[in-house]
Amino acid sequence: MSHTPARRARTAAAALAAVAALGLTACAGPSVGATSDDASADAEAVDWSQVEPATEITWWSNHPGQSQDLEKQYIEEFEAETGISVDLVTAGADYDEVAQRFQAASQTDELPDLVIASDVWWFRYHLNDQIMPVDDVMEHLDADAADFQPALYADYEYDDQHWAVPYARSTPLFYYNKDLWKAAGLPDRGPKTWAELEKWDRSLKKETPKDGSTFGLSTGPSWGAWWFENMIWGTGGAYSDGFDLTLDTPEALAGGEFVHDLFHTSGVATLSADDNMADFSSGVIASTIGSTGSLKGALDAASFEVGTAYLPDGPQGGGTPTGGTGLAIPSSKTPEEQLAAAMFLEFLTNTENTAEFSQATGYMPVRTSAVESDAMQRTYAETPQFRTAVDQLADKARVQDDVRVFVPGADALLNEALEQIVIEGTDPKAAFESITPRIETAYSENVEPYL
Amino acid sequence: MTPRAPEASGAPPTGATAPRPPEKHPHRSRLGARRRRRALLWALLLAGPNVALLLVFVYWPLLQSLYLSTLQWNLGSPAARFVGLGNYVEWFTAPTTGRIVTTTVVFTVATVGGAMALGLGLALLLNRRLRGRGVARTVAFAPYVLSGFAVGILWLFMFDPRYGLIQELLGWLGVASPQWYTDRPWPLVMVTVVYLWKNLGYVALIYLAGLQAIPQDLKDAAALDGASSSRTLRAVVLPLLTPTTFFLLVTMLLSSLQSFDIIKAMTSGGPLGSTTTLMYSIYEESFVNGRAGYASAVATVLFLVLLAVTAVQMRFVQRKVHYA
Repeated sequence: MSHTPARRARTAAAALAAVAALGLTACAGPSVGATSDDASADAEAVDWSQVEPATEITWWSNHPGQSQDLEKQYIEEFEAETGISVDLVTAGADYDEVAQRFQAASQTDELPDLVIASDVWWFRYHLNDQIMPVDDVMEHLDADAADFQPALYADYEYDDQHWAVPYARSTPLFYYNKDLWKAAGLPDRGPKTWAELEKWDRSLKKETPKDGSTFGLSTGPSWGAWWFENMIWGTGGAYSDGFDLTLDTPEALAGGEFVHDLFHTSGVATLSADDNMADFSSGVIASTIGSTGSLKGALDAASFEVGTAYLPDGPQGGGTPTGGTGLAIPSSKTPEEQLAAAMFLEFLTNTENTAEFSQATGYMPVRTSAVESDAMQRTYAETPQFRTAVDQLADKARVQDDVRVFVPGADALLNEALEQIVIEGTDPKAAFESITPRIETAYSENVEPYL
Repeated sequence: MTPRAPEASGAPPTGATAPRPPEKHPHRSRLGARRRRRALLWALLLAGPNVALLLVFVYWPLLQSLYLSTLQWNLGSPAARFVGLGNYVEWFTAPTTGRIVTTTVVFTVATVGGAMALGLGLALLLNRRLRGRGVARTVAFAPYVLSGFAVGILWLFMFDPRYGLIQELLGWLGVASPQWYTDRPWPLVMVTVVYLWKNLGYVALIYLAGLQAIPQDLKDAAALDGASSSRTLRAVVLPLLTPTTFFLLVTMLLSSLQSFDIIKAMTSGGPLGSTTTLMYSIYEESFVNGRAGYASAVATVLFLVLLAVTAVQMRFVQRKVHYA
């Protein structure tokens, strides 16, 4: 009994399939050997005055600050005004998920016309030639880019062009429990310096619950390495100077020592298991650092009076990083779709709408005119907590260190070093050394060749 | 005593026993050849759509992934660089690889071993004539049909060391709750427990089906011979369950090595990578760090591991299987 013919047919079929598959492989995916410059060189300036906007566009959002209903309302108003319909897609639960989906879709024609572009992601979109500069089209629309809060718009600048427009923008804030503050006999304000908070610890500790503490924080990707910028800047250090890592400088190490001692020596701070804002709202910790985007939630959830203040300074000053997300327009869409997306983008971030968005979520108004508008001034008078972020932005904002926001994966690695120090009590020098070669590899592989 | 079950009733419901191929006709003719060609045509026609789907959705991505593993490619970028086996060399020499492999082995052994042992126990219990048995079976199986992500989020609340249900229960016993999210090895213990809970019902259900396929007369015969119930379990029930055990071992091992949702929902592989398994590291490298080429190399390694594990099981474990 022989199976030879059948087997031969099977082998032939399999071989054919394999060859076909390999042939297809060769034409799909990235082009090997090309640099990203080859691709972007083709892009020509569009004469926007000759373009008719598309009538339908898609927007990928994660509805920052639980803004889904508000986003839908903007869409309705925009459609009534322009006749352009916008399909709002929940493309993820947070900035990272939206970005991951956007990356995965980049080789397909399933891309949106407008997409969330957070502080640690927009540059990667740009490196991959996935988004277009917005300067020309915003000028064509008379969008008055000069009215955007300078610190917020400048975040998206590279090669003298802007690659996104600020949308749900935040800074970290110092949140404190006013009731506990009062009970401890402290002045009604946040500590000016970290040293002052350490001094206040003794009186605050008496007022916090048994398993609580004066100050609490949590770590995690897209979070830990953000608030830690304030502390490392406070000792005169930084993650990097340009793309050169500076984690081995005495100033940076002092920042590491500071956070180490905060958790392990003075015991002022405890680590929140998952969500430090939940621990704060329930009164377990007397103070914490949270995003401005958490303000509305904290005011609603807490049964005590919530205070907000600038992030404390360290011995060498301090500063606050900016964060949150902007919106970007994919480069591969047609000029018609891009123009419609830009019109919607302009609408979303106009004075009235950014003010409304800020009131509903706690994110900062992205336009100077909105901060000064009657609506916002009324809000600031009624709920002064909203004011802190805007003032802090003007007084204390500092551009984030390049390595954290521009090198893919560096934020997660910096958070890992921070977790070594905070959770395991590792010596900061050893913790920083453990991540340095990995950040350097990420830079040389994923950034340098594309610059 | 070597128990032998009647042909029909001993087969497990799992599909582990392959039907024998039909006897070939010894007599061949030209007519037969034509008939065979037609049969082949029919077979191709009928199997074609499935084969095409397999090619497009299984083998094509597999080849694509193999090809990508030779590139240094920023996910989403139009350009890439050929690096040959560079990604593999990097994986085998990376300082984090040892930790990731250890975590994967611990998680897999604990989840598969735990689910098999507890699932068998649960099945034996549910196989008895108890009141409310139907309800108990449904309750035991329910977690399996829930979304892993939702299960992860729910358990995250229960494990919370400050307000969670578990610290409350431990408090009644006078035990302080471990720092489930932060102190090693608790995060790994936590995701293991949740994975076990979610999959236990499935294992129990398959074992239950296996148990019910064991003919009562065998057990009666064992009882007549004076075998105790534990002896019957060891000498009759367990050997007859080996096809089920084998099937569960293969499927559970494969699914445990590929588990992602619970880890993503509960710990995101952290803290400090203490819950980063091989599978999770593939996600992290490709979608968080954007290193799609390197991630494809890790995916290929995982694929080879799965292939090897399955081959070993097929070759050695199957020999010990007692098909009734």
